[in-house]
Amino acid sequence: MADVVVDGLSKRFGATSALDAVSLSISDGSFVALLGPSGCGKTTFLRLLAGLETPSAGRIRIGGIDVTGLAPERRGLGMMFQSYALFPHMTVAENLRFPLRMRRVGSREEQASRVGEALRLVRLDELGARFPRELSGGQQQRVALARALIADPPVLLLDEPLSNLDAQLRKDMQVELIELHRKIGLTTVLVTHDQDEALSLADVVVLMRAGRIEQIGSPRDIYRRPATIFAARFLGGANVIPVQIARGVATLAPGITVPAPSAPDGAHHLVLRQEDLRLRAARSDQDLAVPAAIVAVAFHGASLRVVVQVGDQRVALQVSADDAATWRAGDLAQLCWRREAAVFL
Amino acid sequence: MAGGISLAARLLAVLLILVVSVFMLAPLAVVIVSSFSASEFLIFPPRGWSLRWYAEILASRAYLDAAWFSLQLAVVVTILALAIGTPAAIAITRHAVPGAEIISGLFLSPLVIPTILLGTGLLMMFSRYAGGSSFWALVAGHVIVTLPYVVRTVAAVLARADRAAEEAARVMGAPWWRRYWHVVLPQARPGIAAGAFFAFNVSFDEAVIALFLRTPGVETLPLLIYSKLEFSPDPSVAAAATLMILLTIVLMVALDRSVGLDRVAA
Repeated sequence: MADVVVDGLSKRFGATSALDAVSLSISDGSFVALLGPSGCGKTTFLRLLAGLETPSAGRIRIGGIDVTGLAPERRGLGMMFQSYALFPHMTVAENLRFPLRMRRVGSREEQASRVGEALRLVRLDELGARFPRELSGGQQQRVALARALIADPPVLLLDEPLSNLDAQLRKDMQVELIELHRKIGLTTVLVTHDQDEALSLADVVVLMRAGRIEQIGSPRDIYRRPATIFAARFLGGANVIPVQIARGVATLAPGITVPAPSAPDGAHHLVLRQEDLRLRAARSDQDLAVPAAIVAVAFHGASLRVVVQVGDQRVALQVSADDAATWRAGDLAQLCWRREAAVFL
Repeated sequence: MAGGISLAARLLAVLLILVVSVFMLAPLAVVIVSSFSASEFLIFPPRGWSLRWYAEILASRAYLDAAWFSLQLAVVVTILALAIGTPAAIAITRHAVPGAEIISGLFLSPLVIPTILLGTGLLMMFSRYAGGSSFWALVAGHVIVTLPYVVRTVAAVLARADRAAEEAARVMGAPWWRRYWHVVLPQARPGIAAGAFFAFNVSFDEAVIALFLRTPGVETLPLLIYSKLEFSPDPSVAAAATLMILLTIVLMVALDRSVGLDRVAA
C-alpha cells in the first residue's frame, strides 16, 4: 500500500494539451475518483500513473519512490481496463495466474492457491476453467478485478470499470467495490464519467475539466458546495440562475428577489439543486420563495420532474409524486427552498 | 424485417451465386472426372473408368520427385514467409513505424506486380550476382509472392484484437518479449494459421516464377504437369491435379479444425 503524489503533471499530444500541470496528493488507503466529461484528461491521468503514457512534464511518486521514468511493467500496480482486457486465449485461472507468473510470485502451488483465493474473493470459484468469452459481462468484470488485485499491488487503478454493465449490475458492483475497498484498504484511483459512481464509491472526488482539476473534495462537499458553475452543472444538473446582488439582495428578474446576506455586490449565479426545490401554493416563513409559473410536469415513477418559469429563467426541480400530484402546466405557485440550500457563485 | 429484400433481388442473388459457383467449380469437376479415365488420352468425358493413372503417377519417378521437391519448397517457403511476415504485420498494426503505410504497401505489392516481371527480374538478378538460379533462388521468389498473404491475414486478425490486452500485460509486469509470446502471438494465431495455409498453397501451385528460376534436372509439380500437358497429355496430369486439390481440401479442413475458418475469413 502506498500514497500517490503527483506534481505538475502535464501531457501534450502534438498541439493539444490533455493534462495541464496537475498536482494531486492521494493518501495511502484512500479511494479517489477522477470525474469529468470525456476529454477532460482523467483517462490520460490514469494512464500516466500506470506508465502507459510518458508525461511531457511533472513527477509521479508512488509510496515515496519517484516512478516518473519507470516502465509500467516495473511499477507493480494493479489496473483494470474499461474493456477488461482479459486474455481471450487463456482460461479464467490462467488469466489470474498471469500477474503472478510475470512477477515470479511464489511457486506453482502457491500461485494455484492464490488463484483459488482470488476466485473465491470475486465469487467465481466454479469458473476457473472457463474461457472469458464463456462468461457474462458481470463475471468478466469480476475476473478483471481479481486479476488486477491478485499480485497485491500497492495501488489499484480502475478505468471506467462499471461502464459496460447494465444499470442493476452496476449498482450491485458498486456495493461490492465499496466492500472490497473497506476489506483490503487499498489505495484506489477510479476514472469515471458517471457522477453517481464517483459520489457513491470514493472518499475523495477530483472533478476535472479540460486537463485541469476543477474541484477536489469529499463527495458530500463537492455535491453540496460546488466551487464553480461547471461543478454545479456537472454534478446533479443543478439549476444555475444568473442574479444581480446589491446590498445583500439578489435579483433574479425584475421584481423577483431573495436575500443573499453574505455575498458581495455584483453579477453572480444562484445554484439550486433540483431536489432542494419545492412547490407551494403560498409562501411560508422558514423558506425562501419566488413566484413561478409551471411549464411542464413529467412523471418519473417515484418522483415528478417539473419545469417552472421564474422571470425569464427556466428552473427544473424534482419533487415526490405525492407532493406535486395536483400541479398542472399553466398553474402559478411559489418556488421554495431552505435558506442553506442556496449557493451563490 | 422479412420484406426487407425483395423476392426478385433474392432470386438474382441466388442466380449469381450459382453462376459463379459453376464457373469456379466446373474446371475442377472436369479435371477430377478426367482423372478416373481408362483411356490413353486426356479427353472429356472419359469413355471408360479406372484408377490406372493414379497407380501410374504413384509409381512414376518423375512425379514423385517433382512432388517431393514441391513439398520441400512449399514447407521452406511457408516457414520463411511466416518468419518474415508475422513480425512485419505486428510492426505495421501495433507500432507507429515511420512510413508504416509505405511499408505495408511494399509488402502487398507482389499481389499487383505481374509475376512474369518478378520472374524475369529475379532471374536476371540471380544470374548477375549469384551465378544463376538455385533452390534458394526459387525459395526467395516464392517468399516474395507469398508474403502478402501472411502479412494481410495476420494484420487483419491483429487489427480486431483488443489492444488493451497488451497494455494490461505490461502493467502486470510482462516485459516486451513475454508480451509477444503470451499475448500478441496467441492473438495472431488464427492469422498465422491462415497465412501458412495460403503461403503453402501458393508456393505449391506456383508455376510462373518456378518456370523462370528452374534449375536443370529439378522440376516442381506444377511445372511437370505443365510440360506433360504440352508434350504428352495423358490423364496422369488430371490425376496429379486431383491429388493437389485433395491436399488443399485436407489443409483447409485442418485449418478449420485448428482455428476455425470463420475467425480468419473476415
